[in-house]
Amino acid sequence: MKYFLSILIATVFFCAANAQKKAVLSEKKMVTVSSGNYKPFFVTKNNRPIYVAAFKMDESAVTNAEFLQFVKANPQWRRSKVNRIFADTNYLRHWKSDVEIGESNKKIYNSPVVNVSWFAAEAYCKWKNKKLPTIAQWELAANGAPKNFKYKSLTDFILDWYTKPNPRILPNVKSTYQNQYGLYDMNGLIWEWTFNFNSFIASRDSRDKSEADFKNFCAGGAINVVDKTDYATYLRFGYRASLKGNYCISSLGFRCVKDLK
Amino acid sequence: MKVLLFVFFVAVAFGCSDSNSKSAFVGEVPKSAAAPVGTISSESIYQLPDTFETQDNKKIVLSSFAGKPTVVGMIFTHCPYACPRLTADIKGIEDKIKSKSEDVNYLLISFDSERDLPNQLKKFSNDHALDENWTLLHGDENTIRILSVLLNVQFQKDAEGNFSHSNIISVLDKNGVLVFQKEGIDADPAETISAIKQLL
Repeated sequence: MKYFLSILIATVFFCAANAQKKAVLSEKKMVTVSSGNYKPFFVTKNNRPIYVAAFKMDESAVTNAEFLQFVKANPQWRRSKVNRIFADTNYLRHWKSDVEIGESNKKIYNSPVVNVSWFAAEAYCKWKNKKLPTIAQWELAANGAPKNFKYKSLTDFILDWYTKPNPRILPNVKSTYQNQYGLYDMNGLIWEWTFNFNSFIASRDSRDKSEADFKNFCAGGAINVVDKTDYATYLRFGYRASLKGNYCISSLGFRCVKDLK
Repeated sequence: MKVLLFVFFVAVAFGCSDSNSKSAFVGEVPKSAAAPVGTISSESIYQLPDTFETQDNKKIVLSSFAGKPTVVGMIFTHCPYACPRLTADIKGIEDKIKSKSEDVNYLLISFDSERDLPNQLKKFSNDHALDENWTLLHGDENTIRILSVLLNVQFQKDAEGNFSHSNIISVLDKNGVLVFQKEGIDADPAETISAIKQLL
């Protein structure tokens, strides 16, 4: 009897402790991005504006602390266990160990997690019952008008960010600007994975191998873009085209989306 | 009293673990590409646990192709030009290694989750006189995207429901590890053939 009672008490305590731990990292706030038409950046004969239904998006990028929970719950995603086909050797290299971000890294607990592959990002979103945004969703969301902005235009802001080297310590999420949908840091902090980053972008010479693709894209792709002055978007598409699913890069993270029910 | 307490304990314990570890449980059941399965090589594409349907409407996982080298192309059957050509290229490769062709799997995987259902794949298979060494696969959109990332194949659906895509022939060894890729239609098959022969 006593035995049962002590287990009961222990269980209740354990629950309470767990609940408290959870409360520290409460469910990430998602905001609604209203429906719209996304005009593909590269114009071809067959692509017309894509209708994007309204969806919910994480208000900020997934943080180191949030990703740590995922890694703890899914041992196959620990740095020492992950398969190379799913994440290259840079995977979570900035963490102290498999399941520790590290005391000396305290400042980045709440910064976007980077050095994560597309497969890892996809698995994280699935674990959260969410998805990675498509390019159309991400671009539509990122096009939202910035609030309280001191730059002349979003493009100016982005280009200014591109010219700066990566900061030694990545700032926390919500440290740049918020846009009309309530989304933080769609630009200015990190690059973000999209679900279909490997979309086909330009017709290529069939003899070319992958290394030549990028050159070809630079030379040939520019002719048919929506807005030739939008150099910022142009760079973003070039960046995406250069990625592979297992790449882990120190300036590349992600956020998740969910369909509106 | 004891019984009541026990029931209460069970309820609390379950209530607790349910709300706190539900997502962890989902994570441990390998639903995505991301979970290693069994003892398959860590570089193997056959780790993808998702199920496909064949042209004969059979459910199948990629690891069923283990044991023989496999030649893979990604296509869609409503494709007017490139895909029939890519298919013809792979057939050409099969012809050139004909004495050993039954020792190789030929796999066509469709981008078109919406239209390329098993009976449409069967029709394509018949139209192109593909023999029993060939398997055509239908999968859901998410699975196909994951597979395209694993195979470095770029693709995009257009407004008409057709696809722009890169044309790549991939060679997997008998464990599903990607060992060779050739991009382009009408590409010289010599290297691809020698890559396959090295696996036989």
